[in-house]
Amino acid sequence: MIEVNNLVKTFDGFRALDGVTLKVENGSVYGLMGPNGAGKSTLIRHLLGVYRQDEGDVVYDGEKVWENVAVKSRIASIPDDWFYFGQATVKDMCDIYKGMYKTFSIERFKALKDAFNIEENKTIKYLSKGMQKQVAFWLALSTMSDYLILDEPVDGLDPVMRRRVWSLIMDDVSSRGTTVLVSSHNLRELEDVCDHVGIMNHGKVVLERSLSELQDNMVKLQVVFKEGEEEPTMDGIEVLHDSLTGRVHTMIVRMCPESAVKAVKKYDPMLVEAIPLTLEEIFVYEMGGLENEIKNILV
Amino acid sequence: MIELNYRDSRPIYEQIEDGFKKLIIGNVLKKDEKLPSVRLLATKLSINPNTIQRAYNELESKGYLYSVPGKGSFVNGITKVDEEKIKELIDEILEKIKELKYLGMTDKEIVKILTEEMG
Repeated sequence: MIEVNNLVKTFDGFRALDGVTLKVENGSVYGLMGPNGAGKSTLIRHLLGVYRQDEGDVVYDGEKVWENVAVKSRIASIPDDWFYFGQATVKDMCDIYKGMYKTFSIERFKALKDAFNIEENKTIKYLSKGMQKQVAFWLALSTMSDYLILDEPVDGLDPVMRRRVWSLIMDDVSSRGTTVLVSSHNLRELEDVCDHVGIMNHGKVVLERSLSELQDNMVKLQVVFKEGEEEPTMDGIEVLHDSLTGRVHTMIVRMCPESAVKAVKKYDPMLVEAIPLTLEEIFVYEMGGLENEIKNILV
Repeated sequence: MIELNYRDSRPIYEQIEDGFKKLIIGNVLKKDEKLPSVRLLATKLSINPNTIQRAYNELESKGYLYSVPGKGSFVNGITKVDEEKIKELIDEILEKIKELKYLGMTDKEIVKILTEEMG
């Protein structure tokens, strides 16, 4: 289990992390999302024990990560700026990883060769950006580590390779119970692979939920009330957002889909229909008023 | 076996659930046949294993599946009546009848079609 407690990090007086608290259960896939500059990568560097926090803790199964080799050797990562030695070939980096990770499996490394289809004796520097990313995945997945920390991992990978990489990770999650934390802006993709999501903004985690909770607790409704009648006040229904196009209300309601429909039907509308929300829509509504901001820019 | 449609607004677990329901009702998956393991399906579709587990749990609670600990999930045949689904389908039929009436069909004509269909 990864636990982050009230983490604070200040750069030149700017609080990049302003009391981050989050929890990732073992065997779960945690998706970290948030607008640019929210502090995702800074948080990830603390999770990897690269940055030293000003306040708070980063704890793996009860042990602090900072300067702790035993904990760090259980974590494989793909940071946004993956490091390799200047002239190193894939094989050289494999040897370095083998030295760092006791659990490194050379059998797995050989087996994954087919999946990635890159020559072992190629110098990494001369590979394309996407292929370098593939090498990073190849090595990270060969470590057989308990934790996998990924910062925007599939950026630069082609669609076929994305799917292949996610398949490999999902196989690890279901067979070995690997714990994964992944940051991404591709919410469509996060929705497939995550079971928990956290939204960061201004150096804080503003929302942390399981995906099923999110799907069961918020719904979009299209409602049309009868003509000529006064619009009901919708007492007891928590409406987060309501927009009117013609006579059709589009409402975002914090309720499970069935009870929301039932609750609105009491007002005898002409039409009521529940539409599930995508993660992207949830993100937008939770960030609040994005529509208004866009409007202001357009005006 | 199961195809996910990313333009579909239904959540993924629901798509999987509906996909298996269709296969079971259409008798493509026969009684006591084993369903693919959670791990296999997670890897094949590259989605979270918990999502698949959730779909399997839903199907089990609705009586389409039974599970044997350590062995996996199996098709139950249709033994339990899925009241919810029946209500949903009736609502759909009523909706369509409304539409037909709007397009100018009379009650008599609709009844005639329905009785013909029933034999």
